[in-house]
Formats: sequence, C-alpha cells, structure tokens
Amino acid sequence: MPVQCSCCGEKRAMLKRPKTGHSVCKDCFFWAFEEEVHETIVSAKLFRHGERVGIAASGGKDSTVLAHVMKVLNERYGYGLELMLLSVDEGITGYRDDSLETVKRNQQQYELPLKIVSYEELYGWTMDAIVKQVGLKNNCTFCGVFRRQALDRGAIMLKVDKICTGHNADDVAETVLMNVLRGDVARLRRCTAISTASEGEAVVPRCKPLKYAYEKEIVLYAYFKKLDYFSTECIYSPNAYRGHARTFIKDLESVRASSIVDIIHSGENLSVREGVKMPVQGTCNRCGYISSQALCKACVLLEGLNRGLPRLGISKHHRLHGKILARQPLTEKEERKLRSENS
Amino acid sequence: MCEINEDFHDRLECVQDVEGGLKKCVKCKEANASVVIKGGDAHCRACFKENFTHKFRATLGKNRVIFPGEKVLLAVSGGPSSCSMLRQVQEGLSQNAHKKLRFLPGIVYIDEGGAVFRSSEERQKTVAQLQAIFKATGYPFHIVPLEQVLDLPSSTILTAPSASQPAHTGAYKTAVDQFIQHEISSSAAREVQEETDVYESQEPHTQALQKLIGSAKTLTAKQDLVNTLRQHVLVHTARSKGYSKVMLGDSCTRLAVKLLSNISTGRGAHLAQDTGFSDTRHGDVILVRPMRDYSAKEIAYYNHVFAVPSVFIPGLDTKNADKASIHRLTESFVNKLQADFPSTVSTIYRTSEKLQTVCGSSSTADPCDRCLLCVCALDTADDGVSALQATLTSEKLSKFRGNTRPGMPVLISGELRQSAPTVRDCRSGEGENCGQAQVGGSCCSSDMKPEKTDLKSTLCYSCQLIVKDLSSVECLPQYILSEAMRRQRRSLMRKEITFAPVSNVGQEKTLVTVPGSELWAVDQTSH
Amino acid sequence: MAAPLSLHLEFGGGAELLFNSEKKHQVSLPGQAGPWDIRQLLVWIQQNLLKERPELFIQGDTVRPGILVLINDADWELMGQLDYQLQDGDTVVFISTLHGG
Repeated sequence: MPVQCSCCGEKRAMLKRPKTGHSVCKDCFFWAFEEEVHETIVSAKLFRHGERVGIAASGGKDSTVLAHVMKVLNERYGYGLELMLLSVDEGITGYRDDSLETVKRNQQQYELPLKIVSYEELYGWTMDAIVKQVGLKNNCTFCGVFRRQALDRGAIMLKVDKICTGHNADDVAETVLMNVLRGDVARLRRCTAISTASEGEAVVPRCKPLKYAYEKEIVLYAYFKKLDYFSTECIYSPNAYRGHARTFIKDLESVRASSIVDIIHSGENLSVREGVKMPVQGTCNRCGYISSQALCKACVLLEGLNRGLPRLGISKHHRLHGKILARQPLTEKEERKLRSENS
Repeated sequence: MCEINEDFHDRLECVQDVEGGLKKCVKCKEANASVVIKGGDAHCRACFKENFTHKFRATLGKNRVIFPGEKVLLAVSGGPSSCSMLRQVQEGLSQNAHKKLRFLPGIVYIDEGGAVFRSSEERQKTVAQLQAIFKATGYPFHIVPLEQVLDLPSSTILTAPSASQPAHTGAYKTAVDQFIQHEISSSAAREVQEETDVYESQEPHTQALQKLIGSAKTLTAKQDLVNTLRQHVLVHTARSKGYSKVMLGDSCTRLAVKLLSNISTGRGAHLAQDTGFSDTRHGDVILVRPMRDYSAKEIAYYNHVFAVPSVFIPGLDTKNADKASIHRLTESFVNKLQADFPSTVSTIYRTSEKLQTVCGSSSTADPCDRCLLCVCALDTADDGVSALQATLTSEKLSKFRGNTRPGMPVLISGELRQSAPTVRDCRSGEGENCGQAQVGGSCCSSDMKPEKTDLKSTLCYSCQLIVKDLSSVECLPQYILSEAMRRQRRSLMRKEITFAPVSNVGQEKTLVTVPGSELWAVDQTSH
Repeated sequence: MAAPLSLHLEFGGGAELLFNSEKKHQVSLPGQAGPWDIRQLLVWIQQNLLKERPELFIQGDTVRPGILVLINDADWELMGQLDYQLQDGDTVVFISTLHGG
C-alpha cells in the first residue's frame, strides 16, 4: 500500500523525514530540503549580498550536497554570492587523492572555481609522513588542527569573506555529546553556534548552512539527485571514542528520530555557570593565528614534528612555549619526559 | 568526521588491571586494601567506610542548603543508592558521629507498582519489606502509591514562594550555633514520634493510572511521564507534611546517565536543575542530591560490606532491550563506555557541575512561563535561528500545501530577506498549531477537554515530546488538565487585549476571535 | 510454495566495502514455503553475500543504525521495514551514512 506525499497529496511518498515524521515524494523533498537550508541561511543572516564564499569541499556527501544546494539557492534567490570550492589535500595516499578527484569533477559539474591547499606546501609534512613518525594514535589531532588552519590560509589566498562547511545536524549533535563526554564546557558552549564571528585577523568566519539537515536526508538528497560523491572512511582514523558517540547518535535516532535535533536544542540552551574559567583568545606569537596560548596548536605540533618530539603538541606543555619561541633546545630531562609519554 | 583536539585520550586512560596480590590501603598504609574506588585508590574496609561517611557530611556541609532543625524528607526507592543514603543519614544523626547532622528526617516511598503493572500482592510484599526497613530507623515514614497523582491539587505544579531563608554565608553558621544552644536546653523535645502513614491504592485509581501510562506510545515517553508524576507526588507529599527539603538518592553514575539522556531528550536547558546538587524549581520545597559524589560501584560495595538492606523493585524498563527507550539506551552506552574508559562517569559528572540553567530559578516569575509538567522555565521562546524553529520550518514545509510556492526573495540593504509569504509565519505566536493536522477552529472551549495542541504552549520543548507520544491527553490527571485550561484562558485574554483591534495580521493568516472560546490562527494555505 | 525471486541489490555510501567493493548484485532467492520478507533477505545476505565484519552491516535482526534502506527507491520506513514482502524484480538499496563528510 503506497503512502501518499503529505505535501503535494498527489505523488507517492519516497521517504520519511526523520525530523518531523512526514512522508514526502521526491520533488517535495527536494523543495523542502532546499527551502529549509534557505530559511537557515536567511534567518541566521549567514551571508551578505556580493560576498565571496568558499565552500569547504572534501568530495564527501556533506560538502557535495552543500556545494550543490548553495549553487541552486544562490541562483534561485539571487543571493549574489561568488561561490568557490576550497579543498585541503592532507596528503593521504589512497584516500584524499581519490576524493580530490571527486572534488575536481564537482568543479566541472558546478562550474565553480577550485583551490586546493596542501599540508605539504603549508607545513612541509604530508599526513602520510606524519603518521610514519607519530603512528596511528594521535594522528587525528595533527590532521584536525592542520586542516583548520589550512582552510583559513586557503580562504585568505582566495580572498573569500566566509567559509561554509558541510557540518550536518548529526555532526553537531555528536559534537555536543563529545564535549559532554570530555567535560569541555568551553567548546560545549560554542559548538552549537551556526557561525563563528571573526575571532581575529587570521581567521575567516565560518558557517554551517546544513546545521539542521539530517545526515539521512543529505544522503538521500545526494542519492535521488545522483550527485557524485566519494564515500570511504579515512584510512588513518581509528578514533574509537568518537565512533562510540557516533554509534550512540545513530542508535538514538532509531529509538526516536527527532533525537538529533533534540540534542541540538539541548546544546543551544545550555549555559555555563559563572566563575567557570573560559580560555582567553589571543594570537600566536609565531604565525599570528588565533590562540589562547603564546603559540598556536599548529605551531606547537609542527615544532614537535620538526624536533622529532611529536608529544610536544599532543599533551599540554605550555611551559615549553617560551623555549620554542626562542628556538632554544629542550633540556635532556624535558626531552626524556616527552619521549616517555609516547609509550 | 574527525575533529581537532582529540587530545582527551591522555585523560581517558584505559582500564589498568590492579596488580594481583595484597595491596596496602593508600590511606592508613597498614591494613590490606579491599576495595578500589575512583582514581584507582585502594582502601581498606575501615578507611573506605570513614571516607564514605565523611563524604556525605562534607557534601551537605559544603552546600549549606539544609539547616539545623529543618524537616527533610528522604525519598527512598528501595534501590541501593537511596537505601545507602538512608544509612548515611542514620550514621550522621547518631550520637556518636562527631560531626552530627542536625535535621529532622522523614522517609517517603512512592510505589510505582501500578504504573508498571505489578499485581497488588507483589506490591504489598514490597511495601512490607520496605516498611520493615523504615520502622527500624524510627523515623516517620510515608508510603504513597503513584496513583495518588490522580488526586493532586493544581498547586502541585505551581512554584511556591521560597521559604524566607537567609541567603548570606554567615547565616548558616549562626543558625547552627543557635540550634546547638537550643538543643542543649531542650534535648528531649524532638523525640516526639510523628505520624506514619501507608496509603493504599484503590483499584479504579490503578486502572486510571495504567490507562494514562498505556496512552504513551513509546517507552521513552512512559518513563518520562512516570518520572514527572513521581516528582509531583514527592513535592506534594513534602508540602503537605511540612518538609522543606527532599533528599534524592541519585548517585554519580545515575546522574551521568540522566545528564546524557536529558540532553538526548531536549532537556538541555534544565540540566543544572535536573542533575545539580540542589533543585529549586518548586520554590518552597528544595530537592537535594547528597549522593551525587558516589559511584554506583562504591555504593554497591558499601551496602554489601556494611549490610545495608535494599529491595529490588522492577521498573518500566527492567528486562527490556537496550534500544527500548532513550533512557535504557543511554544507560547501556554509559556503562559500556565506563568499562573501557573508567573516567567517563566522573567526566560527565564534572560537566554537570559547570552548568547552570539559562533562566535562573527565580520563583517570582509568572507561572505561565513554566512548564506544566516539569515546572522548569520554558525554553521555547522564538529566538530566530534555533533547532526548535528549524523543526517548525520542516513541519510547515512538509505538510499539505497544494500548489502554492512561496514568493521570491528580495534584497533589503545588502542582506538576504524573503518577500511576504515566508515559511516563518509559524513563529508568530501560534507555534502550537504547527505541523499538527489542522483542526481549524474546532477546539476545546465549552466542554473543557483540551487537545494536544492546547497543551503545547504550556510545555517546555522536552515535555512537548512526551505529549507528542501520547495517543490522547485526556488520560492526564485532572490537576494538569485544569491548570492547562486556566493558562490557556489567561493567554487568550492577554491576546485579546493585545490584538483586539486588529483583525488581520500578515497576509497568510487571520486571527479569528470568538469571544469566550478560542483565538485561533487559521492557516489559509493549508486547505 | 512461492517461486524463486530475482532481486537487484545495491550497496552504496561505503557499505559496498563489505561486499568486495561491488556495488551492484543481481541475486536470485530460492523458492520457499511463504513469501520472502526483508528480515529473511538480511539473513540471506549475511550468509551469501557479506564478505567481512557482519556487525558493520547487520545488528540483531536488522541493519546497523545509520544504514539507509530503499525499496524500489522508496524509504523502507514507508514500506513496513523488515516486514515488507519482496516481489520478483524488486530493487533494494543499502546506503551507509556512516562514511566521510
């Protein structure tokens, strides 16, 4: 017994919307999905007319759908935005090189300019080389920190006013849970924000137009629209802890489909007690990037790699920042301590 | 998705097996250790006990919420944590304790057996076991079936003005000193045995309760509903028997689960009230959680070694699969994670300490701004971009619209805005109407039978989810329904005052005012 | 006795990795006493097609949460999920949402 679309009342429903439980047909789904992103963009005032906007593109489903919908909406509603794709090449053979091929195809399909910044050119290290030195345990820390900066640097090279990323509702909900699980109240407070204000000169504001879009709908949108995306897990991401949180989110969704947006609601309404210390944002003394310490995380990680002491940036060694800045060698004791942490 | 700062690995060390053999107690360094508690410290029995009982007094002392001579109601469920709490109170009040507790305890047990479809024989058996435990303490006790929720007054869900308790820090100490003086002069005065009552539920009441629980379509909603109703009965019992504090037995483990499941059910705005040390939402009756520093493991160990009796009582989710409800799922998630990363519970718990509610706990606020069910400040205000608005937008866009399409946008001063008929009009106050099958103007008015849509505006985000899962709101207890109708009428009057001269607001909807009945936003595009 | 069924199965979004990276499978289910439903199909897939780590595809008697199922391009939630009775020539698509962003 086919279900009729709750929206047009004519065609056969093709999917059940997780946020509301409505059953809709393909065309009504496309329309509603795009309108919702539009509504998010408009009511959160994410862009201004005439801005240059970089779409962080990985070749994966979220950024592919984002690029597609941004282009559609920009034309449909005359946003007047100059859109371009911005990709980061982490230097992971067998993963990023393949997904970048997808991005290059997207560039052709959507006729958008593409800029690729690589870890190798920015930092002198590919992820393959980093993993060779640090192993599989903390490589995600390097990759994440480096990517954040790489996107910003690419954005500055492209002279874009804003970056938009493909973070979806599931990602935001997962981040809320992760921050609760690690007791990080400062991030917990920030992680549900739809856009980051320009926090310093080195940082380009970012926003998440897909913040309220369910992963299920993103995947179905890509599937029904036959969008070309790349879907393989990063070969270096054995992050068990985040995996637990992801599984939990998916389990919750299967118990009550609205859970994901319910978690975001929770995150948006949390508030932190007065007197809880929040980090003060400053800038890195070496590269000028925002940092709550004398040196930004990327510079410390890089220093660790270059000195052959990768632990330097992994755990907190703020005391050593002065020495790094002054380009002084560490004492034998300090080096020994860093090496022993590795085991 | 990987993200920066995955550096918590350092703090989440995996379980390290305690080396076998005889370890010495880290505290006295003499006796052999027999239990390993938080942080991997091994304690001997004596030091463990001292530490355990000290922690109870220390928690109360640090928070300074319970004043000497105050009547405190201990909510004992029969489970290990609340039974252990009862023992701690006994220890604390006993003459030998060098830092004596000085409040007047009473015990309450809420019998939820009706809600979980236990037979009256089973329930009587449980009550008898608990009665034996309670009698042994010599404290007054009250055994109240959850069925009593059907007879509660509407005042139960109103925030009463808080007792005028001096708030400045010196006050607590002064009160203690005064009490000690007083106690010396009249030591025998408080030995008067108070009333002890055991209510029994009647069959029709049990059936009504079961119908109510049965009207919830999901186990998640059933559990939320029972928790809410239990809280109402607790507060009512405390109020009617003159208790100003209620002690709840939530352990650290329990609270970690509760924190996560509350986040997952959209209760983020109330986390501080729901999981913090004290909960002031009811105003005159303050709920406190003195067991929040104890892990379930510590409690189980203590109860075992020091023969604290507890009674196992099956609940709604007993023997259910992991995915039966959000609560059940969260519990198994936390337990599994805790097994791999032993700091999980304490880290979540520390998160809860750093939170506070958005809208304070002022008891002077308009009761209409508080949720009819959980009595917390409403978190459903229209604030532009939010998860709530996104859901309303989705509902609006997914329901029947025929052939109409919204207008094209225009650009106003460089910013993107939409022209008149926007998807945003479900924000203009009648949000309760969105996404539901449109019922036009046909709504409760004369016969006072509220519909789901009427209740919606009086509920917080999360409690709306409970009601959404009810097949009908008619089974809800009368005190809730009548308070809902009262608020409905009040807001109606207010709107009439505000909107009376205006008959048309916006282009897409008309506000229809029918005196004495309903103010209804009729969405013209949906028919 | 129902006749054998010919089905078109498709795995995407990364789910194909568990099936030798082959996305499309034309399969034939043997005839059996009653009609085939999705529940039985999942068991059949586990026994006949799944190459590695079954827990990443099947949990309990259903698919792992996060894997979307489409029956003839429609969300299986609209089709009775596990109880949907398969017809000859049906297309069943499994898309993982759990990979990449």
